[in-house]
Amino acid sequence: MTRHASPPSTAAPPVEPVPGAESGTGSRSYLRRLGGRELPLAVVFLAPAVLGLGLFVIFPLFPAVFLATRGSDIIGSPTRYVGLRHFAELLTPEFGQVLWHTLAFTLIVVVAGVLLPLALAVPLSQRLPGMRVFRSLFTLPFAYSASAAAVVWLLMVDPGTSPINWVLRLVGIAAPGWTTDSNWALVTVAGVTVWMVSGFNLLVLSAGLAGLDEEVLEAATLDGSAGVRHFLSVVLPMISPSVFFVVVTTTLTALQSLGQPQVMTDGGPNGSTSTLVYSIFNQAFHNNNSNYGLASAQGLVLLIIGVLLAAVQFGVIERRVHYR
Amino acid sequence: MSKLNRPSAATSTLTYVWLAVAAVVLLFPVLLTLVGGFLPSSALLRQPPDLIGGYTLDSYLDAIRQVAVPLFPAFLNSLFVGVTIMVAHLVTSALAAYALVFLRTPLKTPLFLLILATIMVPYEAIVVPNSLFVRSLGFGDSRFSLVLPFLASGFGVFLLRQAFRQFPGELKDAATIDGCGHLRFLFTILLPGCRPAIAALTVWSFLQGWNMYFWPLIVSTTNDSLNTLQTAVFALRSNESAAPGLLLAGITITLVPTLLLVVFGQRWLVRGFTAGAVK
Amino acid sequence: MRTMRRVSLLAAALATGMAVSSCAAAVPAGIDYKAVYTAPGPDALNGAGEVDITVWHAMTGVNGATLQKLADQFNAQNRGRIKVTLGFKNNYDDTLSAYKNALRGSTLPDIVQVYDIGTQFMIDTRSIVPMQSFVDVDKFDVTDIQPNIAGYYSVGGKLYSMPFNTSMPLLYINRNAFAKAGLDPDKPPTTLDEIMADAEKLTVKDSSGNVVQYGFGASLYGWFLEQWTAVAGQEYCDQGNGRDGHASHADFVTDEHVRLLAWWQRMTERGLALKLDSDTKNGDTAFESGKVAITLESTGSLGDFTKAAFEAGAGYFPKIDATDSGGPIIGGASLWIVGRGKDDAHKRAAWEFTKFLESKDSQATWHTSTGYFPISRAALDTETDRQWVAKKPQFQVAINQLQGTKLTKATQGCLFGVMPQVRKAAENAMQAAVLQGKDARQALQDAQDSLNRPIGDYNDAVGG
Repeated sequence: MTRHASPPSTAAPPVEPVPGAESGTGSRSYLRRLGGRELPLAVVFLAPAVLGLGLFVIFPLFPAVFLATRGSDIIGSPTRYVGLRHFAELLTPEFGQVLWHTLAFTLIVVVAGVLLPLALAVPLSQRLPGMRVFRSLFTLPFAYSASAAAVVWLLMVDPGTSPINWVLRLVGIAAPGWTTDSNWALVTVAGVTVWMVSGFNLLVLSAGLAGLDEEVLEAATLDGSAGVRHFLSVVLPMISPSVFFVVVTTTLTALQSLGQPQVMTDGGPNGSTSTLVYSIFNQAFHNNNSNYGLASAQGLVLLIIGVLLAAVQFGVIERRVHYR
Repeated sequence: MSKLNRPSAATSTLTYVWLAVAAVVLLFPVLLTLVGGFLPSSALLRQPPDLIGGYTLDSYLDAIRQVAVPLFPAFLNSLFVGVTIMVAHLVTSALAAYALVFLRTPLKTPLFLLILATIMVPYEAIVVPNSLFVRSLGFGDSRFSLVLPFLASGFGVFLLRQAFRQFPGELKDAATIDGCGHLRFLFTILLPGCRPAIAALTVWSFLQGWNMYFWPLIVSTTNDSLNTLQTAVFALRSNESAAPGLLLAGITITLVPTLLLVVFGQRWLVRGFTAGAVK
Repeated sequence: MRTMRRVSLLAAALATGMAVSSCAAAVPAGIDYKAVYTAPGPDALNGAGEVDITVWHAMTGVNGATLQKLADQFNAQNRGRIKVTLGFKNNYDDTLSAYKNALRGSTLPDIVQVYDIGTQFMIDTRSIVPMQSFVDVDKFDVTDIQPNIAGYYSVGGKLYSMPFNTSMPLLYINRNAFAKAGLDPDKPPTTLDEIMADAEKLTVKDSSGNVVQYGFGASLYGWFLEQWTAVAGQEYCDQGNGRDGHASHADFVTDEHVRLLAWWQRMTERGLALKLDSDTKNGDTAFESGKVAITLESTGSLGDFTKAAFEAGAGYFPKIDATDSGGPIIGGASLWIVGRGKDDAHKRAAWEFTKFLESKDSQATWHTSTGYFPISRAALDTETDRQWVAKKPQFQVAINQLQGTKLTKATQGCLFGVMPQVRKAAENAMQAAVLQGKDARQALQDAQDSLNRPIGDYNDAVGG
């Protein structure tokens, strides 16, 4: 396989127009004869993917716009045209709060969710006994789904029985209201997400580090500022594709998190962990709501964020990532 | 080997201390999950939880026996979702990527762009129309409603197209001249040759399906027989919060497949991604 | 190209299909409402063979098993005539969602169990037979039903649904903690001031000043705010608590509410109350683990609380002021008979099953197996029931509280079509004040304002 650099992302990678079936050199006439049969075959081959994506990803965008401009009756069926009313509801301070929570949540998750695994992956890349065991252990949280992680962490921070609070009390620190204090609640919910993504991110970063020459790495794990400087100026650029990859996947994970706020805080206290995806869920499917119009309008905002993110990834960051 | 390969004593001590601290903090919830299921709930309703002694299988038996949120059907649903999505992604992505790379396809670039564009659409953005859509198709009460919108993946097409393009052209030509048809070439030469990407997509797709939450949550709302393990965990917490032992036993049951995958399958996952996406 | 065209054709077809199905509003044209609402007499079952009816419910665990037992009993008695099949729907929210979806075009059940706060919504779907129609046709004696329970489900003097599983809020105390603090466990606090005074004695701190046991701690559950309002003898919304017509706004901003939330703020500031969110499961754990000594919960939690490592006691739901003369509202769920798309035989069969569940023996079984209130007064006099209550003295408190509450519009409880959202808004106000430290009056005002749009939209949609 070639060592050709390909875009490291699950989001939209850049497109180079591909010369199709012209890779061959010999026997053109044979290929041309085959070409007659290729068109139906190509249609058959592409149909499942195009149909699946067309019907359930692209086509729903039209009803989404349709629903966003309708009111709904008491059982959620769209009724009359309400123009831009639902979009006007997006300009309220309440929705501004939702966007702010989404941004803060995503930032915490991405920054901590990349730095923490990095701070583990670098020492783990040394040739020391036991490193493999440690690495395997650290990847275990990756096995947790959102709801499982949320429920276990609810026990960890339960105001009545929290083992964390117990330890804090031993060392004389008053435990904060993890899920009841509005500033802490967002941090707690984001922290659980960091915990969930750290396992996978550690795997990817470790793989990136494993690809480096050992001498390059050794110098980075030296103590002191020389090591830090070396890490920042030499090692980090060299694993930047891996870092970029985890930044992108973590951003998407954070942006799409529902289980953590829904199970842990139900968006509270007083909406302070209500993120965009939680809000869509809440408006459309929660509390006997069926406000499909507003939920669809909020969905379109999420769509725009998705597209913007893709643009940022490949317009700005991509150029700075170092490929070998 | 040069002497550089072994860090100094000071560095290694520091390393172990840091890793040990991190392990205690990050792994305590895992410990609580695995041990808590073997404890009676009363031991967990104390501060701190009494993790030593008094082990019992009661919580597991209760978790399996309770009928409010049956876990076995939920397990089957999760398996169905994970495997169906995995197989569907592999098939639809491989065929489409093959057409995009090896077949003379009209409108190749716009089609590929369209497929790529779908990666940018978070499915939460269209979950409302999709839920109405799937229901209006009459799939509301069938298991297929859990997977219907997720049978194709733009990312899968992209990943395999990337891998296929790196497949040496000479091999393809040789195969063609040997009279090897497209299907045979695809299945006997190309796919085995792109094993890392296939493995990555397999694991990724399975996990996508297995860990899905939002969609099964709204699908199972109207029909609890469509609970997957992930929504069952939430339902279990709603019903059995007074019994944390039972709750943790239930969670451990839901974790078994992914724990196995994480412990034994991580090599494929990483190799696949590093081959297909990172480097 | 051809593929794309095919896709777009299909997409267009589906879009049209969706638009058509989604235009089927809550009230499709051409429905004869008189036929929907009419209750058939006993002869409707003659010559109908065995009538299969489906009941959607949300009873979990022991409660679900007991319901199944009762259904089996009914089926055995009515072999060849009526056959009841139960359909379990996870929880109340999901049951109502499932019913909403079914209203848009699939098969409706014959009986659906709906929580208290879905009452106005169910009436507005215009898909059910009011229970009163059956009561009138059969001259059925309803005087045996506890008036406070029937009161909630009666609008304009008409009983719309049959109360089934009924609960009430209580104040719970940790009797051991009371004794240890030198308080009389037989005298639970009855007002906010008394709770504060007791909490001062019940709160235990360790040497470094951290609280080991809080005197008080209750979930910021919206239901409780409704209860306090009723105990104060006040109405929670306009239009006679929504009983004279569709209410147009909630009355959150009252002096009583402000005093309550300010009291709660003081309790947490002084370290006498544990800060909890609105999830009652967290409140339950806090009480069961001994972290808080006084809490508020429904009668439904009595069973779990009696299993705790200490002795739990119960008292009346507290008053804001000692002079408050109202009483709490009942909660729980009721059974609705579906009329839309149902023939007389099915409606009648549904009524027969409802009557069976309401009978005193069924209610005694239900009460003693589940801990829910018996809705029938006679059930309390059965032998099974007497023995059970003797063993659970805390429940006697609930019975006294229920029977001592005068039925007024205030204690009937407020009705809104969007009551679940109203409750959520109340929780937001409670959280804003107690957890975020916002000014109580402002928090209540914000929450009340946030409801203007959903309430207005709903009332517009039903033409109320």
